[in-house]
Amino acid sequence: MERMPVGILFLILLSLLLYLGIGHRVLDRMRLSDRAALLIIGAMVIGSLIEFPLGPKLTLNAGGALVPVAMAVYLVAGAGTREEKVRALAGALITGLVVYLLGTYLMRGLKEPAGRYDFLEPLYLFPLVAAAVAYLAGRSRRAAFVAATLGVLLGDLGHYFWVLKNRAPVTVSLGGGGVFDAVVLSGLLAVLLAELVGEARERLQGGPETEGRPEALLEQLQPPEGEERNDKKK
Amino acid sequence: MIRKSKLWLGFLLLLLAAGLLTCWAGSRTVPVLGSRLGDYDGELNPGEFYTVVDEERRVIDRLSREVAPGDEFFAPDGRHYRVERVKGKVAEARLLGRDRDILAWEAYFEQVAVPAAVLGPDRTVAIYHTHSDESYVPTDGAASIPYRGGILKVGARFSRKLEREGVKVNHDVTPHDPHDAYAYVRSRKTATRLLQSRPLALFDVHRDGVPDPDFYRAYIRGSSVGQIRIVVGRQNPKMSANLDFAKRLMSYANRVHPGLVKGIYLGRGNYNQDLSPTALLLECGTHTLTRPEAERGVMLLAEAVPVVLGLQGSRPDLPEGERPLTERSPGVWRAVGWLALAAVVGVGGFLLLSTGSWQGAREKLRQFWSRELGLRKKKG
Repeated sequence: MERMPVGILFLILLSLLLYLGIGHRVLDRMRLSDRAALLIIGAMVIGSLIEFPLGPKLTLNAGGALVPVAMAVYLVAGAGTREEKVRALAGALITGLVVYLLGTYLMRGLKEPAGRYDFLEPLYLFPLVAAAVAYLAGRSRRAAFVAATLGVLLGDLGHYFWVLKNRAPVTVSLGGGGVFDAVVLSGLLAVLLAELVGEARERLQGGPETEGRPEALLEQLQPPEGEERNDKKK
Repeated sequence: MIRKSKLWLGFLLLLLAAGLLTCWAGSRTVPVLGSRLGDYDGELNPGEFYTVVDEERRVIDRLSREVAPGDEFFAPDGRHYRVERVKGKVAEARLLGRDRDILAWEAYFEQVAVPAAVLGPDRTVAIYHTHSDESYVPTDGAASIPYRGGILKVGARFSRKLEREGVKVNHDVTPHDPHDAYAYVRSRKTATRLLQSRPLALFDVHRDGVPDPDFYRAYIRGSSVGQIRIVVGRQNPKMSANLDFAKRLMSYANRVHPGLVKGIYLGRGNYNQDLSPTALLLECGTHTLTRPEAERGVMLLAEAVPVVLGLQGSRPDLPEGERPLTERSPGVWRAVGWLALAAVVGVGGFLLLSTGSWQGAREKLRQFWSRELGLRKKKG
């Protein structure tokens, strides 16, 4: 009979609970009901175990890529204005490009220990890039999620093209880390960062800007279903 | 007036959040992106390395990667250093003292010559290679052989020896080329897959790039072996738990084979160690050693692994006085504490920021509980 030390068990449970809890809250903020957010988290966890072959040397993980992409598509499709849609997609493209360039050109080398890269772990750098790009492009949490998930996935696709070009004996697994993949992690962290910056900015200026904004955008400013806004200004 | 006080509150909270994020990342210095990008010059030239010296200018370590203030070293004898300044290619480290945990483990292993492993029959150890190209120049012919570096054979030797020691091994040889920062994002997929077999430990096996082979060479049992360096990423929320395991492994391995483990390097990065409290990165020698030397080193380490993993449970077979020591896992509890604190401060800070007052934050929290748990109360 194996005994898992209590401390380690507790640490694993707590970190999982926090991670999935944060994930749930993030999804909850994006025009999803509590139940839908919970279902999506569940789909990502279970989907982590499902891998679809997409062609030679390419597979797609349901939890780490399919669900986040479906979520991103849903967010883009439901975006308030055409402009917002374009911004979200452009943000994803730029993020993908920056992430790929950072990861493969600026931070490479044969040096050890553990390779040579600088400043910050890419796993945290990617969502930072995505959040910054999305925030500059549209100052939107949804755009941050779209830019981060699709952007990191585009980075993975960039690697797939590298594999094809170099005829590398490597199979690229899009979102292969499932719910712990950089795709999901980046999406969640990017939303949190955008939210932090957004909330701080709104707090500083005393509420969101509403004047001169399109009606469709203003509608999206309403709090998610079931949540009451307790600092109504207008 | 209200606007002004909110302005201050906003600033304060932003500052707090930034500080917390920095702490959480485990990094004492998160340099500004732009200033770092500007002078980034790719890799060091062959033969270039950083020398780490103590306050009396004695060389304590050499690294072929950039060393940053805040990086830490644990020497095999428990001396604990932190890098304070980096001037050119010399990093000055300050001795923080002898690490209590390492000393405690040394004392424990001193008393119990060969502790019995209490591993169950079905638990595995998982091994993978983020840098699957890493190779050993004298025997492999190059420092890097894409997709099938000599390091995979070192991993295979490690896993065969572990199996002989009675441990099930899941050795994954998926290539994660090219050798760049993205490699860890790619190997994260492999590590996650390996976790599905619920391994007791997860090893990412590498080799170092210090040009001097003697720097990594030790003579154990009459033959030359490649020493092993354990690397723990400090931009990792489970860092203290991983460090605990690293200290345990170093203490016991060096007890059985003195000089085998060179030390523990606590550097920037995450190395996918957030995935498991017992995930470690091993540097098996350096590229200028021969591969058989590295293989001999890692095989000696394999003898220590099952014992150290077995020690993680409580030990009912030991005298009462010994038990608390074997159950020591202060780092694990430290990690739990940090995570809980980060969650409380993060949620609290965010609620304050989004509502603008303690009252608002409390109200929002109350709303959340009543909504999520269905405990609806009449609004006052």
